[in-house]
Amino acid sequence: MLEYLVKRLLGIIPVIFAISVVVFAFVHLLPGDPARLVAGMDASLEDVAAVRKSLGLEGPLWQQYLHFACNALTGDFGISLKTRRPVITEIGERLMPTVWLTVFAMIWATIFGLLIGVLSAVKRGRWQDYGGMIVAVSGISFPSFWLGLLLIDLFSVRLGWLPTGGYGTWAHFVMPSFTLGLGVAAVMARFTRSAFVEIAREDYVRTARAKGVPEKFVIWKHTLRNALVPVITMTGLQFGFLLGGSIVVETVFSWPGLGRLLVDSVSYRDYPVIQAEILLFSIEFILINLMVDVLYAFANPEIRYK
Amino acid sequence: MRLKALLAAGALSALALAPGLAAAKTLVVGVPDNLTGLDPTNVNDTLSQTAMRTVYQGLFGFDQDMKIVPVLAESFEANDTATEFTIRLRKGVKFHDGTDFNANAVKISLERLANPDNKLSRRSLISMLDRVDVIDDSTVKIVLKTPFGALINTLAHPAIVIMSPAALEKYGKDIARNPVGTGAFKFKRWAADTFEVEKNEHYWKAGWPKVDGVTLRSVPENGSRFAMLQAGEVQYVTLFPPELVPVAEKLPNLLVVKRPSIVGWYAAMNTMKKPFTDPRVRQALNYAVDKAAYCKVVESGFCTPLQSPMPDLLGFFEPQKPYTFDVAKAKALLAEAGYPNGFETEIFALNNTNQIRAMQFLQQQLAQVGVKLTVTPLESGVAAQRIWGVQKPEDATVQMQLTGWSSSTGDADWGLRPLLWGKGFPPALFNVAYYKNDKVDADFEGALETADPAKRGAFYADAQKRIWEDAPWIFLGASQLLTAQSKNLSGVYMLPDRGFVLEGAEFK
Repeated sequence: MLEYLVKRLLGIIPVIFAISVVVFAFVHLLPGDPARLVAGMDASLEDVAAVRKSLGLEGPLWQQYLHFACNALTGDFGISLKTRRPVITEIGERLMPTVWLTVFAMIWATIFGLLIGVLSAVKRGRWQDYGGMIVAVSGISFPSFWLGLLLIDLFSVRLGWLPTGGYGTWAHFVMPSFTLGLGVAAVMARFTRSAFVEIAREDYVRTARAKGVPEKFVIWKHTLRNALVPVITMTGLQFGFLLGGSIVVETVFSWPGLGRLLVDSVSYRDYPVIQAEILLFSIEFILINLMVDVLYAFANPEIRYK
Repeated sequence: MRLKALLAAGALSALALAPGLAAAKTLVVGVPDNLTGLDPTNVNDTLSQTAMRTVYQGLFGFDQDMKIVPVLAESFEANDTATEFTIRLRKGVKFHDGTDFNANAVKISLERLANPDNKLSRRSLISMLDRVDVIDDSTVKIVLKTPFGALINTLAHPAIVIMSPAALEKYGKDIARNPVGTGAFKFKRWAADTFEVEKNEHYWKAGWPKVDGVTLRSVPENGSRFAMLQAGEVQYVTLFPPELVPVAEKLPNLLVVKRPSIVGWYAAMNTMKKPFTDPRVRQALNYAVDKAAYCKVVESGFCTPLQSPMPDLLGFFEPQKPYTFDVAKAKALLAEAGYPNGFETEIFALNNTNQIRAMQFLQQQLAQVGVKLTVTPLESGVAAQRIWGVQKPEDATVQMQLTGWSSSTGDADWGLRPLLWGKGFPPALFNVAYYKNDKVDADFEGALETADPAKRGAFYADAQKRIWEDAPWIFLGASQLLTAQSKNLSGVYMLPDRGFVLEGAEFK
């Protein structure tokens, strides 16, 4: 297992290198001159040239890439073209709000999603099943900007219980994490239900029942544990996506997160920020995938890596 | 019972936590964007500049109606050729770091901005500056390389501020993160989505400011900004969406304020490309568009039709004879120019809702005279590339462009010259219509060679008349600015250039 982990971690290096090249190339091939955008619409040609120079946007592309890559290796991702603050600061300020929001959303979504999924599967064809799936389908179908605004209207404007948005105390987390997690919970419930229903047909489940294992154990130990593998995959993927920041939820709740930063950076052609953010997302995804693979082994001891 | 008690307790504690409900002493403003920097001489967005006006001040400024008022200056005199301006400064003003505001600070700040080695993005505003002479502690003489009649207006631009020389010395380039000025507020914090300043206890206007501080919060979603205002978390929001005005006006604690702007909207026609080479075609298109309908459809009625190439609040504005909506006349002009059945052309603008709506409106209007308009919404970087990626006018692919312009010096020069000067073709400036009229060019240049308002006025009157007749644009409208605020707040207002003034904020 340890050997496997080390191998996988080493495998990240070429992947990151490839991603950095692709991202760099794509970002610089976007039409639009950042020097012009930074200098402003009414800047003179001279000003634009000065800005281009001060942003380090001169010289052939491969030179700019080498410069970027060498600095990145030392942890220096450069200066944001837009705010002229270090990219690390820009991303650092928004990383934790995004991570915490993702974690809270995932925790409640996973718990509720699993419970609803199991309940629907066990009571298949009964009202609990229909009820659970109605909730799940609605959860997927609610557009989050609409749900978010409705929540704000009810809990902040009418009742005055929760702040409308921003990042701060626990109260600030309630509505955004609910809104963000709802879709995940819904997907989770549907996934759990179908995986569970499939496993419940397996011979070993019937055997367990036949040999008199209490129903509780049949459900939670024999069936659910085996049904977890696809659910873990799903959770990992969702987790990765949410860590990229949700533009809609961040916008509605004025959350200082990574999603909005990326969109702003793209429209401003803020190359260093875009590059660093996409690299960060790639690393997050790779690590999550690795974690998912490890978790498989725990869910199903038959899966062993060599 | 227990559940009920719990819920009530939860509600109470949440209420206690909710900020801004009690007698707020800090003004919180909801704005749609984030600041891009704290050095006004090196940012180009109105929000950053206006936010920094809490900390920094200029020699001159604008009042509510875009009229020039002295701020750190007391008075000025100019020579006849508009090359030397002697300015007397306010006495007894101190920077936030305790050092004195004086002639030397003015010299250092202005020469810093004008020095090309500093690569500051707003340098072009005063690139004609030769030097600043210190006459005595409270008098400076600004000497220009070339005559520039609009200098005083330019000095009122929010980018031209006086910084503490001691702070410039101490922080060097990091002044961009450690602003030290003479303003009513001292800089406190700038982080993701938040900008905070606190009261300057030693402000030179005795008794001001009346609030303990100001916080700018970036709230991109219109609905959320409105909700925050209703919940009392913010007391002032800018760029209030027109569709929410009827809702907001019914609420007892809110006030919607409508203000005129100097943001003029127009559709530029590339006068070097057929069929727009013929002025009759350009005039025809002006007759074909119902400007009142434009204001209603595109700006929800919060707009006034343009009466000149520039909005009426700019200095030296002269109203012209309107191109009244007249389809028959438009058709006749087109026929006369050899296009009895119209023609096909393309217009581009940015891909936001408002600009797309404006282009679609033009498409519908022009269809009535047989002009088939293709609408192309572009992302801002792509649009910039299309305008400025062109080195020679004949390579330009622009046929029509819809855009808006606001002259942040409040003067006719910056309202017209960047857009319509024969020497201002992209990439030099912003003359996307590739419009060149030698008489107009002479007006622009002549008006800069004198500081005499009467002479300047005559030049601009002539320029406006000629441009209006040549019609290089379809002249659309000047949008109005909407803000909303708590009723107990006073003294905060929006400037016509989309900046806002927070210094006089007061809670009743």
